[in-house]
Amino acid sequence: MNRRLYVPLMTLVLLFFTFPIIFMAMVSLKGQADISTGDIFPNVLYWRNYPDAFGSIALDRYLLNSAIVASFGALLTLVIAVPATHAIVRYRIGRNWLPAFILGTYVAPPIVALFPLFFLLRNLGLVNTHLGMILVYGVMNLPVAFWLLSSFVRRLPVELEEAARVDGVGYFRTLRSIVIPLLMPGIASTGIICLILAYNEFLFASFLARSQDTQTVPIGLSLFQGDRQLRFGQMAVASLAAMVPVYVLAVFFQRWLVRGLTTGIGK
Amino acid sequence: MPQTLKRRAPGRFRPSGRVIARLTTTPLIVGLGVFAIYPFIYLLGLAFTESNLIEPFQKWVGTENFQDALGDPRFVGSLGRSVLLAFLSTATAMVLGVAVALLLDKAVKARDLIRTLILLPLLTPPVTAAIMWQLLLMPQGGWLNGFLMDLSLISEPVSFLGTPTTAFLSVLLVDVWQWSPFVALMSFAALQTLPSEVYEAAKLEVRSSWTVFRWITLPMLFPALIGIAVLKLVIGFKLFDLVFVLTAGGPGQATTISSFYIYRIGIQQFDIGLAAAMTLLFAIVVGLATVPFTVAHDKAEDRLS
Repeated sequence: MNRRLYVPLMTLVLLFFTFPIIFMAMVSLKGQADISTGDIFPNVLYWRNYPDAFGSIALDRYLLNSAIVASFGALLTLVIAVPATHAIVRYRIGRNWLPAFILGTYVAPPIVALFPLFFLLRNLGLVNTHLGMILVYGVMNLPVAFWLLSSFVRRLPVELEEAARVDGVGYFRTLRSIVIPLLMPGIASTGIICLILAYNEFLFASFLARSQDTQTVPIGLSLFQGDRQLRFGQMAVASLAAMVPVYVLAVFFQRWLVRGLTTGIGK
Repeated sequence: MPQTLKRRAPGRFRPSGRVIARLTTTPLIVGLGVFAIYPFIYLLGLAFTESNLIEPFQKWVGTENFQDALGDPRFVGSLGRSVLLAFLSTATAMVLGVAVALLLDKAVKARDLIRTLILLPLLTPPVTAAIMWQLLLMPQGGWLNGFLMDLSLISEPVSFLGTPTTAFLSVLLVDVWQWSPFVALMSFAALQTLPSEVYEAAKLEVRSSWTVFRWITLPMLFPALIGIAVLKLVIGFKLFDLVFVLTAGGPGQATTISSFYIYRIGIQQFDIGLAAAMTLLFAIVVGLATVPFTVAHDKAEDRLS
Protein backbone atom coordinates (compact mmCIF):
# COMPACT_ATOMS: atom_id res chain seq x y z
CA MET A 1 0.00 0.00 0.00
CA ASN A 2 1.09 3.51 -0.72
CA ARG A 3 2.67 5.09 2.36
CA ARG A 4 1.03 8.41 1.60
CA LEU A 5 -2.39 6.78 1.83
CA TYR A 6 -1.70 5.36 5.29
CA VAL A 7 -2.26 8.49 7.35
CA PRO A 8 -5.59 9.60 5.82
CA LEU A 9 -6.93 6.03 5.80
CA MET A 10 -5.94 5.35 9.39
CA THR A 11 -7.44 8.68 10.45
CA LEU A 12 -10.68 7.74 8.73
CA VAL A 13 -10.75 4.34 10.45
CA LEU A 14 -10.05 5.78 13.88
CA LEU A 15 -12.71 8.48 13.33
CA PHE A 16 -15.28 5.86 12.37
CA PHE A 17 -14.58 3.86 15.51
CA THR A 18 -14.32 6.75 17.96
CA PHE A 19 -16.61 9.48 16.60
CA PRO A 20 -19.83 8.01 18.07
CA ILE A 21 -18.13 7.95 21.48
CA ILE A 22 -16.87 11.52 21.13
CA PHE A 23 -20.26 12.76 19.92
CA MET A 24 -22.01 11.20 22.89
CA ALA A 25 -19.50 12.77 25.28
CA MET A 26 -20.33 16.13 23.65
CA VAL A 27 -24.09 15.53 23.95
CA SER A 28 -23.59 14.91 27.66
CA LEU A 29 -22.49 18.57 27.93
CA LYS A 30 -25.38 20.04 25.96
CA GLY A 31 -28.66 21.53 27.09
CA GLN A 32 -31.86 20.49 25.31
CA ALA A 33 -31.79 23.48 22.91
CA ASP A 34 -28.15 22.84 22.06
CA ILE A 35 -28.83 19.19 21.30
CA SER A 36 -31.33 19.94 18.56
CA THR A 37 -28.76 21.99 16.61
CA GLY A 38 -26.86 18.83 15.67
CA ASP A 39 -23.49 20.60 16.09
CA ILE A 40 -20.61 18.49 17.31
CA PHE A 41 -19.42 20.80 20.06
CA PRO A 42 -21.74 22.36 22.64
CA ASN A 43 -22.30 26.10 22.24
CA VAL A 44 -22.84 26.46 25.98
CA LEU A 45 -21.43 23.97 28.45
CA TYR A 46 -24.32 22.46 30.37
CA TRP A 47 -23.06 20.52 33.36
CA ARG A 48 -26.48 19.97 34.92
CA ASN A 49 -26.92 16.71 32.98
CA TYR A 50 -24.46 15.03 35.30
CA PRO A 51 -26.21 15.51 38.65
CA ASP A 52 -29.59 15.16 36.88
CA ALA A 53 -28.71 11.77 35.39
CA PHE A 54 -27.57 10.38 38.72
CA GLY A 55 -30.69 11.88 40.30
CA SER A 56 -33.26 10.58 37.84
CA ILE A 57 -32.18 6.94 37.71
CA ALA A 58 -30.40 4.90 40.38
CA LEU A 59 -27.19 4.86 38.38
CA ASP A 60 -24.91 4.23 41.34
CA ARG A 61 -27.03 1.27 42.37
CA TYR A 62 -26.95 -0.17 38.83
CA LEU A 63 -23.18 0.23 38.72
CA LEU A 64 -22.84 -1.54 42.06
CA ASN A 65 -25.07 -4.42 40.93
CA SER A 66 -23.09 -4.72 37.69
CA ALA A 67 -19.81 -4.75 39.56
CA ILE A 68 -21.05 -7.50 41.89
CA VAL A 69 -22.55 -9.86 39.32
CA ALA A 70 -19.86 -9.34 36.69
CA SER A 71 -16.86 -9.80 38.97
CA PHE A 72 -18.22 -12.78 40.89
CA GLY A 73 -19.53 -14.24 37.64
CA ALA A 74 -16.08 -13.96 36.04
CA LEU A 75 -14.51 -15.42 39.19
CA LEU A 76 -16.88 -18.39 39.09
CA THR A 77 -16.05 -18.92 35.41
CA LEU A 78 -12.34 -19.02 36.20
CA VAL A 79 -12.72 -21.31 39.22
CA ILE A 80 -14.56 -23.84 37.07
CA ALA A 81 -12.67 -23.35 33.80
CA VAL A 82 -9.02 -23.21 34.88
CA PRO A 83 -8.71 -26.71 36.44
CA ALA A 84 -11.06 -28.21 33.86
CA THR A 85 -9.25 -26.74 30.86
CA HIS A 86 -5.91 -27.86 32.23
CA ALA A 87 -7.26 -31.39 32.75
CA ILE A 88 -8.83 -31.55 29.30
CA VAL A 89 -5.71 -30.33 27.52
CA ARG A 90 -3.13 -32.26 29.56
CA TYR A 91 -4.93 -35.53 30.23
CA ARG A 92 -7.06 -35.52 27.08
CA ILE A 93 -10.16 -36.01 29.23
CA GLY A 94 -13.13 -36.52 26.94
CA ARG A 95 -10.83 -37.06 23.90
CA ASN A 96 -12.31 -35.04 21.08
CA TRP A 97 -15.95 -35.03 22.07
CA LEU A 98 -15.61 -32.88 25.19
CA PRO A 99 -13.88 -29.91 23.53
CA ALA A 100 -16.36 -30.20 20.66
CA PHE A 101 -19.27 -30.28 23.11
CA ILE A 102 -17.98 -27.26 25.06
CA LEU A 103 -17.49 -25.15 21.94
CA GLY A 104 -20.72 -26.50 20.42
CA THR A 105 -22.74 -25.11 23.32
CA TYR A 106 -21.51 -21.66 22.34
CA VAL A 107 -23.31 -21.86 19.00
CA ALA A 108 -26.79 -21.90 20.54
CA PRO A 109 -28.19 -18.36 20.78
CA PRO A 110 -28.80 -17.27 24.39
CA ILE A 111 -32.57 -17.03 23.86
CA VAL A 112 -32.53 -20.86 23.98
CA ALA A 113 -31.53 -20.83 27.64
CA LEU A 114 -33.67 -17.85 28.67
CA PHE A 115 -37.04 -19.36 29.59
CA PRO A 116 -35.73 -22.73 30.88
CA LEU A 117 -33.22 -20.97 33.16
CA PHE A 118 -35.94 -18.62 34.35
CA PHE A 119 -38.09 -21.54 35.50
CA LEU A 120 -35.09 -23.30 37.05
CA LEU A 121 -33.99 -20.22 38.99
CA ARG A 122 -37.56 -19.52 40.07
CA ASN A 123 -37.88 -23.01 41.51
CA LEU A 124 -34.65 -22.40 43.41
CA GLY A 125 -35.89 -18.99 44.61
CA LEU A 126 -33.02 -17.27 42.78
CA VAL A 127 -34.90 -14.97 40.38
CA ASN A 128 -34.09 -11.34 41.14
CA THR A 129 -31.05 -12.21 43.25
CA HIS A 130 -27.37 -11.47 42.71
CA LEU A 131 -26.57 -15.14 43.27
CA GLY A 132 -28.87 -16.23 40.45
CA MET A 133 -27.23 -13.84 38.00
CA ILE A 134 -23.73 -14.77 39.16
CA LEU A 135 -24.53 -18.42 38.49
CA VAL A 136 -25.89 -17.63 35.02
CA TYR A 137 -22.91 -15.44 34.09
CA GLY A 138 -20.43 -17.86 35.60
CA VAL A 139 -21.72 -20.67 33.42
CA MET A 140 -22.56 -18.57 30.34
CA ASN A 141 -18.91 -17.70 29.65
CA LEU A 142 -17.46 -21.19 30.21
CA PRO A 143 -17.08 -21.98 26.48
CA VAL A 144 -15.29 -18.66 25.88
CA ALA A 145 -13.03 -19.24 28.88
CA PHE A 146 -12.23 -22.79 27.77
CA TRP A 147 -11.43 -21.60 24.26
CA LEU A 148 -9.13 -18.82 25.50
CA LEU A 149 -7.44 -20.83 28.25
CA SER A 150 -6.80 -23.97 26.24
CA SER A 151 -4.29 -22.32 23.92
CA PHE A 152 -2.51 -20.84 26.94
CA VAL A 153 -2.33 -24.28 28.60
CA ARG A 154 -1.08 -25.86 25.37
CA ARG A 155 1.85 -23.46 25.37
CA LEU A 156 2.97 -24.30 28.94
CA PRO A 157 6.05 -26.49 29.07
CA VAL A 158 4.86 -29.93 30.16
CA GLU A 159 8.26 -30.85 31.65
CA LEU A 160 7.74 -28.90 34.86
CA GLU A 161 4.52 -30.74 35.60
CA GLU A 162 6.12 -34.08 34.79
CA ALA A 163 9.05 -33.31 37.05
CA ALA A 164 6.62 -32.45 39.84
CA ARG A 165 4.78 -35.72 39.32
CA VAL A 166 7.98 -37.73 39.41
CA ASP A 167 8.82 -35.98 42.68
CA GLY A 168 5.49 -37.12 44.06
CA VAL A 169 3.92 -33.69 44.29
CA GLY A 170 0.14 -34.05 44.50
CA TYR A 171 -2.28 -33.11 41.73
CA PHE A 172 -3.72 -29.99 43.31
CA ARG A 173 -0.38 -28.80 44.63
CA THR A 174 1.06 -29.03 41.13
CA LEU A 175 -1.94 -27.10 39.87
CA ARG A 176 -1.64 -24.46 42.56
CA SER A 177 2.09 -23.92 42.70
CA ILE A 178 3.19 -24.68 39.14
CA VAL A 179 0.38 -24.48 36.61
CA ILE A 180 -1.60 -21.51 37.91
CA PRO A 181 1.40 -19.18 38.43
CA LEU A 182 2.66 -19.95 34.91
CA LEU A 183 -0.82 -19.55 33.51
CA MET A 184 -1.40 -16.19 35.20
CA PRO A 185 -1.25 -14.03 32.02
CA GLY A 186 -3.82 -16.31 30.39
CA ILE A 187 -6.01 -16.35 33.48
CA ALA A 188 -5.90 -12.57 33.70
CA SER A 189 -6.78 -12.10 30.02
CA THR A 190 -9.61 -14.61 30.26
CA GLY A 191 -10.87 -13.07 33.49
CA ILE A 192 -11.02 -9.57 32.02
CA ILE A 193 -12.80 -10.75 28.88
CA CYS A 194 -15.38 -12.74 30.89
CA LEU A 195 -15.82 -9.75 33.21
CA ILE A 196 -16.62 -7.47 30.29
CA LEU A 197 -18.94 -10.01 28.65
CA ALA A 198 -20.90 -10.35 31.90
CA TYR A 199 -20.89 -6.58 32.48
CA ASN A 200 -22.33 -5.91 29.02
CA GLU A 201 -24.91 -8.71 29.09
CA PHE A 202 -28.50 -7.64 28.55
CA LEU A 203 -30.90 -10.48 27.69
CA PHE A 204 -30.64 -12.55 30.88
CA ALA A 205 -30.41 -9.46 33.07
CA SER A 206 -33.58 -8.03 31.58
CA PHE A 207 -35.44 -11.19 32.52
CA LEU A 208 -33.84 -12.19 35.80
CA ALA A 209 -33.35 -8.77 37.41
CA ARG A 210 -36.81 -7.58 38.32
CA SER A 211 -36.06 -4.65 40.65
CA GLN A 212 -33.51 -1.97 41.41
CA ASP A 213 -31.81 -4.27 43.90
CA THR A 214 -30.44 -6.42 41.10
CA GLN A 215 -30.80 -4.48 37.84
CA THR A 216 -27.50 -3.92 36.08
CA VAL A 217 -26.29 -0.89 34.12
CA PRO A 218 -27.50 -2.03 30.66
CA ILE A 219 -31.00 -2.56 32.10
CA GLY A 220 -30.92 0.84 33.79
CA LEU A 221 -29.95 2.47 30.51
CA SER A 222 -32.69 0.71 28.58
CA LEU A 223 -35.25 2.19 31.01
CA PHE A 224 -34.60 5.63 29.47
CA GLN A 225 -36.16 4.36 26.25
CA GLY A 226 -39.57 4.05 27.89
CA ASP A 227 -39.83 7.78 28.54
CA ARG A 228 -42.21 9.93 26.51
CA GLN A 229 -39.73 12.77 26.33
CA LEU A 230 -36.25 11.37 25.73
CA ARG A 231 -33.70 13.19 27.88
CA PHE A 232 -30.73 12.83 25.56
CA GLY A 233 -28.28 14.75 27.72
CA GLN A 234 -28.94 12.56 30.74
CA MET A 235 -28.96 9.46 28.59
CA ALA A 236 -25.50 10.38 27.33
CA VAL A 237 -24.23 10.92 30.87
CA ALA A 238 -25.59 7.58 32.04
CA SER A 239 -24.12 5.81 29.02
CA LEU A 240 -20.72 7.38 29.67
CA ALA A 241 -20.88 6.27 33.28
CA ALA A 242 -21.66 2.76 32.05
CA MET A 243 -18.72 2.74 29.64
CA VAL A 244 -16.05 4.26 31.88
CA PRO A 245 -15.31 1.09 33.88
CA VAL A 246 -14.85 -0.96 30.71
CA TYR A 247 -12.75 1.70 28.99
CA VAL A 248 -10.51 2.01 32.04
CA LEU A 249 -9.93 -1.75 31.86
CA ALA A 250 -9.19 -1.38 28.15
CA VAL A 251 -6.58 1.30 28.66
CA PHE A 252 -4.80 -0.49 31.49
CA PHE A 253 -5.01 -4.02 30.15
CA GLN A 254 -4.95 -3.40 26.41
CA ARG A 255 -2.07 -5.81 25.85
CA TRP A 256 -3.65 -8.56 27.92
CA LEU A 257 -7.02 -8.06 26.30
CA VAL A 258 -5.58 -8.27 22.83
CA ARG A 259 -3.38 -11.23 23.76
CA GLY A 260 -6.38 -12.99 25.26
CA LEU A 261 -8.63 -12.34 22.28
CA THR A 262 -6.10 -13.34 19.69
CA THR A 263 -4.55 -16.28 21.49
CA GLY A 264 -6.41 -18.87 19.45
CA ILE A 265 -4.77 -17.57 16.28
CA GLY A 266 -1.73 -19.41 15.05
CA LYS A 267 -1.49 -22.00 17.81
CA MET B 1 11.52 -33.58 48.59
CA PRO B 2 12.73 -37.02 49.62
CA GLN B 3 10.29 -37.21 52.53
CA THR B 4 7.24 -36.64 50.41
CA LEU B 5 8.58 -39.17 47.99
CA LYS B 6 8.91 -41.83 50.63
CA ARG B 7 5.52 -41.15 52.12
CA ARG B 8 3.55 -41.03 48.88
CA ALA B 9 5.33 -43.38 46.53
CA PRO B 10 4.55 -45.65 44.83
CA GLY B 11 1.30 -43.79 44.37
CA ARG B 12 -0.96 -46.68 44.93
CA PHE B 13 -2.78 -44.97 47.77
CA ARG B 14 -3.77 -41.83 45.99
CA PRO B 15 -5.96 -41.68 42.94
CA SER B 16 -4.00 -41.36 39.76
CA GLY B 17 -3.78 -38.01 37.99
CA ARG B 18 -6.26 -39.05 35.33
CA VAL B 19 -9.00 -39.78 37.85
CA ILE B 20 -8.60 -36.42 39.58
CA ALA B 21 -8.31 -34.69 36.22
CA ARG B 22 -11.60 -36.23 35.19
CA LEU B 23 -13.19 -35.10 38.45
CA THR B 24 -12.09 -31.49 37.94
CA THR B 25 -13.93 -31.36 34.63
CA THR B 26 -17.20 -32.32 36.33
CA PRO B 27 -18.28 -28.79 37.33
CA LEU B 28 -17.70 -27.60 33.76
CA ILE B 29 -19.71 -30.45 32.26
CA VAL B 30 -22.52 -30.05 34.78
CA GLY B 31 -22.55 -26.27 34.29
CA LEU B 32 -22.77 -26.50 30.52
CA GLY B 33 -25.30 -29.31 30.82
CA VAL B 34 -27.55 -26.99 32.79
CA PHE B 35 -26.89 -24.10 30.43
CA ALA B 36 -27.08 -25.94 27.10
CA ILE B 37 -28.62 -29.43 27.37
CA TYR B 38 -31.31 -28.95 30.00
CA PRO B 39 -32.78 -25.90 28.14
CA PHE B 40 -33.35 -27.94 24.97
CA ILE B 41 -35.10 -30.73 26.88
CA TYR B 42 -37.15 -28.20 28.83
CA LEU B 43 -38.03 -26.30 25.63
CA LEU B 44 -39.26 -29.52 24.06
CA GLY B 45 -41.56 -30.00 27.04
CA LEU B 46 -42.78 -26.42 26.81
CA ALA B 47 -43.25 -26.54 23.04
CA PHE B 48 -45.65 -29.50 23.16
CA THR B 49 -47.76 -28.05 25.97
CA GLU B 50 -49.76 -24.98 26.77
CA SER B 51 -47.51 -22.95 29.04
CA ASN B 52 -47.17 -19.48 30.44
CA LEU B 53 -44.64 -17.83 32.73
CA ILE B 54 -46.69 -18.52 35.84
CA GLU B 55 -47.51 -22.12 35.11
CA PRO B 56 -45.62 -24.23 32.58
CA PHE B 57 -46.88 -27.57 31.18
CA GLN B 58 -50.63 -26.96 31.60
CA LYS B 59 -51.84 -29.43 29.01
CA TRP B 60 -50.47 -31.43 26.10
CA VAL B 61 -51.21 -29.76 22.76
CA GLY B 62 -49.17 -31.88 20.37
CA THR B 63 -47.62 -29.97 17.50
CA GLU B 64 -50.06 -27.08 17.71
CA ASN B 65 -47.39 -24.60 18.85
CA PHE B 66 -45.12 -25.56 15.97
CA GLN B 67 -47.99 -25.17 13.49
CA ASP B 68 -48.83 -21.77 14.97
CA ALA B 69 -45.19 -20.70 14.77
CA LEU B 70 -44.77 -21.74 11.15
CA GLY B 71 -48.17 -20.24 10.30
CA ASP B 72 -47.13 -16.86 11.70
CA PRO B 73 -45.69 -14.84 8.81
CA ARG B 74 -44.08 -12.43 11.27
CA PHE B 75 -42.08 -15.23 12.83
CA VAL B 76 -41.05 -16.71 9.50
CA GLY B 77 -40.07 -13.22 8.37
CA SER B 78 -37.99 -12.75 11.53
CA LEU B 79 -36.08 -15.95 10.75
CA GLY B 80 -35.18 -14.56 7.34
CA ARG B 81 -34.07 -11.27 8.84
CA SER B 82 -31.93 -13.04 11.48
CA VAL B 83 -30.14 -15.03 8.78
CA LEU B 84 -29.78 -12.01 6.48
CA LEU B 85 -28.44 -9.79 9.24
CA ALA B 86 -26.00 -12.41 10.55
CA PHE B 87 -24.53 -13.06 7.08
CA LEU B 88 -24.48 -9.42 5.98
CA SER B 89 -22.81 -8.27 9.16
CA THR B 90 -20.28 -11.11 9.00
CA ALA B 91 -19.39 -10.30 5.40
CA THR B 92 -19.15 -6.56 6.02
CA ALA B 93 -17.22 -6.90 9.27
CA MET B 94 -14.79 -9.34 7.59
CA VAL B 95 -14.02 -6.99 4.70
CA LEU B 96 -13.69 -3.93 6.92
CA GLY B 97 -11.85 -5.82 9.65
CA VAL B 98 -9.25 -7.33 7.31
CA ALA B 99 -8.71 -3.93 5.71
CA VAL B 100 -8.12 -2.40 9.14
CA ALA B 101 -5.76 -5.26 10.03
CA LEU B 102 -3.69 -4.59 6.91
CA LEU B 103 -3.63 -0.92 7.82
CA LEU B 104 -2.63 -1.75 11.39
CA ASP B 105 0.23 -3.81 9.98
CA LYS B 106 1.62 -0.63 8.45
CA ALA B 107 1.44 1.30 11.70
CA VAL B 108 4.84 2.32 13.00
CA LYS B 109 3.97 5.02 15.50
CA ALA B 110 1.52 4.78 18.40
CA ARG B 111 0.61 1.15 17.75
CA ASP B 112 -0.66 0.63 21.30
CA LEU B 113 -2.77 3.77 21.24
CA ILE B 114 -4.27 2.82 17.88
CA ARG B 115 -5.05 -0.69 19.06
CA THR B 116 -6.69 0.64 22.22
CA LEU B 117 -8.86 3.01 20.19
CA ILE B 118 -9.88 0.24 17.80
CA LEU B 119 -10.71 -1.98 20.76
CA LEU B 120 -13.22 0.50 22.22
CA PRO B 121 -16.30 -0.31 20.07
CA LEU B 122 -15.87 -4.00 20.82
CA LEU B 123 -15.87 -3.34 24.55
CA THR B 124 -18.78 -0.90 24.50
CA PRO B 125 -21.92 -2.41 26.02
CA PRO B 126 -24.29 -2.96 23.07
CA VAL B 127 -27.01 -1.00 24.87
CA THR B 128 -24.67 1.98 25.04
CA ALA B 129 -23.60 1.55 21.42
CA ALA B 130 -27.27 1.69 20.47
CA ILE B 131 -27.73 4.94 22.41
CA MET B 132 -24.64 6.50 20.79
CA TRP B 133 -25.85 5.73 17.31
CA GLN B 134 -29.35 6.85 18.15
CA LEU B 135 -27.84 10.25 18.97
CA LEU B 136 -26.03 10.30 15.62
CA LEU B 137 -28.98 9.08 13.56
CA MET B 138 -31.97 10.94 15.00
CA PRO B 139 -33.76 13.38 12.71
CA GLN B 140 -33.68 16.34 15.13
CA GLY B 141 -30.16 17.10 16.31
CA GLY B 142 -28.65 13.92 14.94
CA TRP B 143 -25.20 14.62 13.54
CA LEU B 144 -25.59 12.56 10.36
CA ASN B 145 -28.62 14.47 9.11
CA GLY B 146 -26.88 17.80 9.62
CA PHE B 147 -23.76 16.50 7.88
CA LEU B 148 -25.67 15.17 4.85
CA MET B 149 -27.66 18.41 4.61
CA ASP B 150 -24.46 20.47 4.70
CA LEU B 151 -23.21 18.40 1.80
CA SER B 152 -26.57 19.00 0.08
CA LEU B 153 -27.05 15.25 -0.29
CA ILE B 154 -30.46 15.51 1.34
CA SER B 155 -32.75 18.52 1.55
CA GLU B 156 -34.64 17.65 4.72
CA PRO B 157 -33.90 15.44 7.73
CA VAL B 158 -34.37 11.71 7.19
CA SER B 159 -35.73 9.52 9.98
CA PHE B 160 -33.15 6.77 9.55
CA LEU B 161 -34.56 4.66 12.36
CA GLY B 162 -38.16 5.32 11.31
CA THR B 163 -37.85 4.06 7.73
CA PRO B 164 -37.77 0.27 7.18
CA THR B 165 -34.76 -0.01 4.86
CA THR B 166 -32.55 2.52 6.62
CA ALA B 167 -33.53 1.13 10.03
CA PHE B 168 -32.34 -2.33 8.98
CA LEU B 169 -29.15 -0.85 7.53
CA SER B 170 -28.64 1.11 10.77
CA VAL B 171 -28.76 -2.08 12.84
CA LEU B 172 -26.29 -3.59 10.39
CA LEU B 173 -24.05 -0.52 10.61
CA VAL B 174 -23.92 -0.49 14.41
CA ASP B 175 -23.26 -4.23 14.56
CA VAL B 176 -20.42 -3.82 12.07
CA TRP B 177 -19.10 -0.89 14.10
CA GLN B 178 -18.99 -3.13 17.16
CA TRP B 179 -17.58 -6.28 15.58
CA SER B 180 -15.18 -5.23 12.85
CA PRO B 181 -12.61 -4.33 15.56
CA PHE B 182 -12.83 -7.95 16.68
CA VAL B 183 -12.18 -9.16 13.14
CA ALA B 184 -9.42 -6.59 12.76
CA LEU B 185 -7.53 -7.66 15.89
CA MET B 186 -7.91 -11.36 15.12
CA SER B 187 -6.83 -10.95 11.50
CA PHE B 188 -3.94 -8.76 12.60
CA ALA B 189 -2.78 -11.52 14.95
CA ALA B 190 -3.09 -14.05 12.13
CA LEU B 191 -1.12 -11.74 9.87
CA GLN B 192 1.74 -11.72 12.40
CA THR B 193 2.04 -15.52 12.21
CA LEU B 194 2.72 -15.52 8.45
CA PRO B 195 6.36 -16.11 7.47
CA SER B 196 7.70 -12.67 6.63
CA GLU B 197 10.38 -14.01 4.23
CA VAL B 198 7.71 -14.96 1.73
CA TYR B 199 6.43 -11.40 1.55
CA GLU B 200 9.79 -9.76 1.41
CA ALA B 201 10.68 -11.97 -1.53
CA ALA B 202 7.33 -11.29 -3.18
CA LYS B 203 7.62 -7.55 -2.69
CA LEU B 204 10.94 -7.53 -4.50
CA GLU B 205 9.44 -9.37 -7.45
CA VAL B 206 6.01 -7.78 -7.66
CA ARG B 207 5.39 -4.06 -7.74
CA SER B 208 1.66 -4.00 -6.94
CA SER B 209 0.78 -4.49 -3.29
CA TRP B 210 -2.71 -5.62 -4.35
CA THR B 211 -1.15 -8.52 -6.26
CA VAL B 212 0.90 -9.48 -3.21
CA PHE B 213 -2.23 -9.37 -1.05
CA ARG B 214 -4.43 -11.25 -3.52
CA TRP B 215 -2.00 -14.04 -4.42
CA ILE B 216 0.18 -14.40 -1.34
CA THR B 217 -1.25 -12.88 1.85
CA LEU B 218 -4.89 -13.81 1.31
CA PRO B 219 -4.33 -17.50 0.47
CA MET B 220 -2.04 -17.93 3.49
CA LEU B 221 -4.46 -16.07 5.71
CA PHE B 222 -7.52 -17.90 4.42
CA PRO B 223 -7.85 -20.74 6.97
CA ALA B 224 -7.57 -18.27 9.85
CA LEU B 225 -10.10 -15.96 8.18
CA ILE B 226 -12.65 -18.75 7.83
CA GLY B 227 -12.27 -19.44 11.54
CA ILE B 228 -12.83 -15.78 12.39
CA ALA B 229 -15.83 -15.59 10.04
CA VAL B 230 -17.47 -18.66 11.60
CA LEU B 231 -17.04 -17.14 15.05
CA LYS B 232 -18.49 -13.83 13.88
CA LEU B 233 -21.44 -15.64 12.26
CA VAL B 234 -22.21 -17.48 15.50
CA ILE B 235 -21.99 -14.21 17.42
CA GLY B 236 -24.22 -12.57 14.81
CA PHE B 237 -27.07 -14.92 15.69
CA LYS B 238 -26.78 -13.93 19.35
CA LEU B 239 -27.77 -10.34 18.57
CA PHE B 240 -30.55 -9.00 20.75
CA ASP B 241 -29.84 -5.91 22.88
CA LEU B 242 -28.85 -3.71 19.97
CA VAL B 243 -32.22 -4.21 18.31
CA PHE B 244 -34.04 -3.91 21.63
CA VAL B 245 -32.69 -0.40 22.26
CA LEU B 246 -31.98 0.99 18.78
CA THR B 247 -35.21 0.16 16.96
CA ALA B 248 -37.31 -2.10 19.22
CA GLY B 249 -37.80 -4.26 16.15
CA GLY B 250 -39.43 -1.48 14.16
CA PRO B 251 -40.58 0.33 12.24
CA GLY B 252 -43.22 -2.31 11.70
CA GLN B 253 -41.31 -5.57 11.55
CA ALA B 254 -38.35 -4.14 9.64
CA THR B 255 -35.73 -5.00 12.26
CA THR B 256 -37.56 -7.74 14.17
CA ILE B 257 -35.08 -10.58 14.33
CA SER B 258 -36.13 -13.94 15.77
CA SER B 259 -34.60 -13.60 19.24
CA PHE B 260 -36.43 -10.29 19.66
CA TYR B 261 -39.73 -11.63 18.33
CA ILE B 262 -39.55 -14.70 20.58
CA TYR B 263 -38.78 -12.50 23.57
CA ARG B 264 -41.86 -10.43 22.83
CA ILE B 265 -44.10 -13.46 22.41
CA GLY B 266 -42.87 -14.73 25.77
CA ILE B 267 -42.99 -11.45 27.68
CA GLN B 268 -45.96 -9.66 26.14
CA GLN B 269 -48.24 -12.50 25.16
CA PHE B 270 -47.07 -14.80 27.97
CA ASP B 271 -47.32 -17.68 25.49
CA ILE B 272 -44.25 -19.62 26.58
CA GLY B 273 -45.32 -22.76 24.72
CA LEU B 274 -45.38 -20.88 21.43
CA ALA B 275 -42.14 -19.04 22.31
CA ALA B 276 -40.49 -22.40 23.05
CA ALA B 277 -41.56 -23.88 19.71
CA MET B 278 -40.24 -20.77 17.95
CA THR B 279 -36.96 -20.97 19.87
CA LEU B 280 -36.44 -24.58 18.76
CA LEU B 281 -37.16 -23.66 15.14
CA PHE B 282 -34.79 -20.71 15.41
CA ALA B 283 -32.09 -22.98 16.90
CA ILE B 284 -32.51 -25.35 13.95
CA VAL B 285 -32.09 -22.47 11.51
CA VAL B 286 -28.97 -21.25 13.36
CA GLY B 287 -27.58 -24.79 13.26
CA LEU B 288 -28.28 -25.19 9.56
CA ALA B 289 -26.73 -21.81 8.84
CA THR B 290 -23.54 -22.28 10.86
CA VAL B 291 -22.67 -25.98 10.79
CA PRO B 292 -21.61 -26.13 7.09
CA PHE B 293 -19.12 -23.36 7.78
CA THR B 294 -17.76 -25.05 10.89
CA VAL B 295 -17.19 -28.19 8.84
CA ALA B 296 -15.51 -26.16 6.10
CA HIS B 297 -13.27 -24.59 8.72
CA ASP B 298 -12.26 -27.97 10.17
CA LYS B 299 -11.46 -29.25 6.68
CA ALA B 300 -9.35 -26.17 5.95
CA GLU B 301 -7.43 -26.71 9.19
CA ASP B 302 -6.93 -30.40 8.46
CA ARG B 303 -5.53 -29.61 5.06
CA LEU B 304 -2.95 -27.37 6.69
CA SER B 305 -1.75 -29.74 9.35
